[in-house]
This record gives sequence, structure tokens and C-alpha cells, in this order.
Amino acid sequence: MDAIQNLLMGFSIALSPQNVMLAFIGSLLGTLIGVLPGIGPAAGAAMLIPLTFQMGPTGAIIMLTALFYGTQYGGTVTSVLLNVPGEAASAITCLDGYAMARQGRAGAALSLAAIGSFIGGTFATIALVFAAGPLTRWALEFGPVEFFALIVLGISMLTGLAGNSIVKALMMGVFGLALAMIGIDPIRGMPRFTFGQAELLDGIGFVPVIMGLFGLAEILENAEKPFAQMVLAKMSTLIPTKKDIRDSIGPVVRGSVIGTVLGLVPGITNSASSFLAYVAEKKSSKHPELFGTGMVAGVVGPETANNAHANGALIPLFTLGIPASPTIAVIMGAFMMHGLIPGPLLFKEHPDVAWGVIASFYLGNVILLILNLPLIGIWVKVLKIPYGILSGIIMAFMVLGAYSVNNSSFDVAVMTLFGVVGYLLRKFDFPLAPVVLTLILGPLMERSLRQSLEISQGSFAIFLSSPIATVLLALAILFLIAPLFQFFRKGKVVIAQGEEPI
Amino acid sequence: MHRKHQIAALCFLAFSAYLMWESLKKMEYYTPLGPGTGFFPFWLGAILGGLGIIWLVQVSRRRAKAEEGPHLPPRDGIVRMVAIVVSLAVVSALLDILGYQLVMFLFMVFVLRVLGRQAIWMTLVLALVCSVGVYHLFGRYLDVQLPVASWTFLNGIGL
Repeated sequence: MDAIQNLLMGFSIALSPQNVMLAFIGSLLGTLIGVLPGIGPAAGAAMLIPLTFQMGPTGAIIMLTALFYGTQYGGTVTSVLLNVPGEAASAITCLDGYAMARQGRAGAALSLAAIGSFIGGTFATIALVFAAGPLTRWALEFGPVEFFALIVLGISMLTGLAGNSIVKALMMGVFGLALAMIGIDPIRGMPRFTFGQAELLDGIGFVPVIMGLFGLAEILENAEKPFAQMVLAKMSTLIPTKKDIRDSIGPVVRGSVIGTVLGLVPGITNSASSFLAYVAEKKSSKHPELFGTGMVAGVVGPETANNAHANGALIPLFTLGIPASPTIAVIMGAFMMHGLIPGPLLFKEHPDVAWGVIASFYLGNVILLILNLPLIGIWVKVLKIPYGILSGIIMAFMVLGAYSVNNSSFDVAVMTLFGVVGYLLRKFDFPLAPVVLTLILGPLMERSLRQSLEISQGSFAIFLSSPIATVLLALAILFLIAPLFQFFRKGKVVIAQGEEPI
Repeated sequence: MHRKHQIAALCFLAFSAYLMWESLKKMEYYTPLGPGTGFFPFWLGAILGGLGIIWLVQVSRRRAKAEEGPHLPPRDGIVRMVAIVVSLAVVSALLDILGYQLVMFLFMVFVLRVLGRQAIWMTLVLALVCSVGVYHLFGRYLDVQLPVASWTFLNGIGL
């Protein structure tokens, strides 16, 4: 019952006119970012952070989380109308969504996807409400030893973001941790890797790094070819038939469960949820051979799952302080910039923020449902804007976002540098998501490790003295050595085929 | 093509060697109170070095395939990418000297007209919105102060 009371308290905060407006703006911008090619949710959320400095923490996080799950809605529009996924999780929707569009049923595909997304997102939010209490009570027993073990477990799950090589994923994880070492040492207060630059004493800004790695690198990749105009499928009525609705009930239920459960596990991408939901629909269908020809289940299942995943992935952030994807890492960074640390203490010390934001998820999902169906026509018009114009506007906003974090042109240079680094890493097939996760987690990981070793006077045996830490570290080792079994079985290390969430 | 991968692996090895060297040479590895400033980066360097060696061995043992990436983009693609990077570098260098409005106006004209081949009227409208418009919108309504020109002449005319 505590959860219900807390949620009601959250609603009293989330439903204030200012927070409703912020949820609306976040949802709108998120959908726009999801629709636009060339800018992913991580770079989009990073660009918005400077706008939140003048807001209170609750309003700022409400806007950024609304943006995050708004991108999931937006990605569907391009998948259905263009056969180009606006973001990675919507890639599988192209198969049946675009086929429906070619049959003149684009409107129905988009409506059903929006309704499925709404139900999936709401289902995962209910799960968050009921998981928050038990998980945070458990996490409140954590000291630095257990916290270090938890972060190691989270980082070991980077294997899920591995792309085609576990070694490359781990290299990127360590690269992100190394970037996090720049600046003042959190325990002794000594400067490290600052190259004499005063701007680096506070560390390297994660906003310019993320905008460079994800936003600018994408623009550079697109600049390889001349900017082309996209060809859109024709729109049709938004109202689905009764048969479409009947065919959607099963996929919505299965997609909600798959997305929420997989969202709980850091490292599993929402692309994996969409893909598994698609496979589940195909397996449970009486006509699996028709998938790819415009089956409603092939659109609704994956779209429900990726929205449930987006909301479910916020559970580890809110309860344990572990970000499950790059965009959630950006949201975690925004929490920290507002002087808050997500995790169990957030519910204890700032229940108004924690429950206000959670209640806003319901609100955001309702806004997205109401907003998206009538606005589909506008998103179609947005897609007709030439990429030559879009890329220019995106870069202008990236400069603005990078500069205004610290009012420093140095950060614009950092963004540019990491744009080049991100482009080169993409060319060599390095997954970029691990860099962001470890860049955010690096200082917390180092602090908890060093505090643990100071308590034990340098003895690593302290990590075996805590049963929780021992279990978490054992799980981490299992995640890390599991690919070796695959190595011996297949003769090579090929881990996952899922796309990287950007 | 695996030569490019080998060079990339060597770059990572050089980076890991730098991390370890800097951690041991310029920082305290261990203190009487526990791990020092250099402890964590040293081990990061060591782990990155180990992973870099594994990757180097992997790419060296793999049979080189003609179709294997990364492929160089076409010449005009390289020109566009270099133009974007250089123009952003120039923006970061000039923001505090010429001010946000003038620098962003010139940047947008370059990106939209030269790279994006947009019509002149569209270029000018968007350049004005993204420079002067954004400067006043963010400064007045969102309280985000963007840089003004440090040159007295430009500053005097409101840039």
C-alpha cells in the first residue's frame, strides 16, 4: 500500500501545470528526435540538459525521461513510412510496418504501434512502482564493497552491448573509464590527465563527449555520401479495423512482458526486446510464413516491447543507480548535475523527486498517445525537410548544447574531437554504448573500490567477506567468461547480432 | 585491410602504455591510507593493454578479405567531413572572440549554402534564426548566456 500512497504523492507533483508542460515538451521533442534521422536519443537528451539548468531537479528529470521514451514512439514513424528506422529498436518494425504502408495501411500500422507502445510503457511503469520498494530496501544494505560489486556486474553486462566482438566492447568500457579519470581525483583531490588545462580540472564533460560520439559522428558518417531526399510511403486512415485490434491483443500482452523483463537487465538493448517480441509473435502465429508481408503482430509486438523496455530500463536506474543504456546514462548524468544520485537513497532523501518522476511516466505515456496520433501528419512533413538543412540545424544545436553546459568554447572543441573519435570507432565497428555507461559510472566505481580497500587496509579479501558482493562478483565473472564457452563451441567470439542503442 | 585494424590496435596499445606510464610516473600508486591517485588508471591501462593485445592477435590471425572494412569514403565525402570538422573547430576557436551571433551566422551560411547547397533565401533565414534568434531566445527567456564578441567594435554593435 506504501507504493500506492507514494504514487499518489508523485501524481500531486507530476500533475502541477509546470511539470505537465515539461512532460509535454519532453514527449514532443523526444518524438521529433525519434523521427529525425541523424540524431539518436542519447545525443538528443545530452543536447537538452543545458536547457534544464534553470529548472528544479524534478521538472528537469521529467522532461528528459519524457524525451527518452518519446524517442521510442518517433522511431516507429520512419520505420513504417520510410523503411528506415529512426532508432535501432524500431529496425524490426520495418519488416511488417513498411509492408503495411505499401498496402496503403500506414495509418493503421502507426495507430496500433502507438496504442501498443502506450500499453507497454504503462505496464512497465506499474512494474517500476511495485519493484521500487523491495529493490531499494535491498539496495539500502549496500556499502562501498557491495556497490563496487554491483557496478562491476553492471559493466560485465556490457557483453550485451558487444555488437560483434566482446573484446571491442570491453575495450570501449575501459576507454570510458579512462576518460572518467580525467580531472580531480575524487578521494585525494589531486589533478590527473589534465594536460595543464584548467577546463579539465572538473573532468571531461559527458554532454560534449556524448554529443560528439553519437551526434556528430553520425553526421560525419552521413556526410560520406551526398545528402539525399527521402522517399515517403503514402499515409492513410489512422483508424484500425476490428480485426486489426483483435490481432493486436496477444502481441501487446507478450510485448509488455518481454520488454519489461528484459529492460530490467542492464546491457540488454531495447533492440533485443523488439527482436525477441518479433520472434515470439512469429512462433505463436498460425501463419508464420506471412511475417514480413504486413502482419499487424509484426508491428505491434516489437513496438510494445521496445516501449515497455524503455520504461522497464528505468527500474535499475531508480532502484540501484545503474544505467542500462547510453540514454539512461545521460539521464543519470542529469540527476548528478542537479545534485542527486539515483539509487535507493533517492527514495529516502528525495521521495518527491523519485515519485514525482515515476508518476510522470504515466502522464508522459498518455501525452504521447494523445499527441502522436493527430501529429503523425506533421512528422511526415518533418521527414520531407532535406537532410542538408536538418544536419545544419542539428549541428547548431549541438554547438549550443556543448557550449552552454559550462559556458565554455573548450567544450565545443571537445565535442568536435569526440565526433572524429566516434566516427573512427564506428568505422572499426567498436560499440559506443559502453563508453557512455562507464564514463558515467567510472567515478562511482573508483570511489567505492578505493573506499573498500581503505577499510580493509589494502586487502582484496574484503570483497569476499560480504555475501552480497560475493554473489554479484560471481555473476559478473559468469557474464565475462560465458563468451569463452561460445568461443570453444564455435571457434570464434561472436556474441550478439543486436544493434547498438544510440 | 587488416593492416588498418593492426594500426588501430597499436594505437590502443600506445594509449594503454601512456595511461600506465602517467599513473606510475606522475601519481602515487599506493599510500599508507590505501590506493593512491594512480592505482585505478594504472590497472585500467593494464587491462586495456591486455585487451588490445588480444584484439591485435585476433586481427592478425584473421585472413585478410578484400571486402573487409573500414573503407575510405569517396573523395567528395572526405572533403565534406573535413569541412564539417574544421568549421566546428573554427567555431570553438572564435566563439569568445567574435561572439555567438556572428560565428553561428557564418557557420550556418557555410553549412547550409556550401555543404547543403540550399537556396540563398533559405540559408539566410535559417542562419539568422539559429544565430541572432537563438541568442535572444536563450538569453532572454531561458537564462542561458551565450558569448558576446570580445572585440570592442563588434561588441559595440550588439554582437
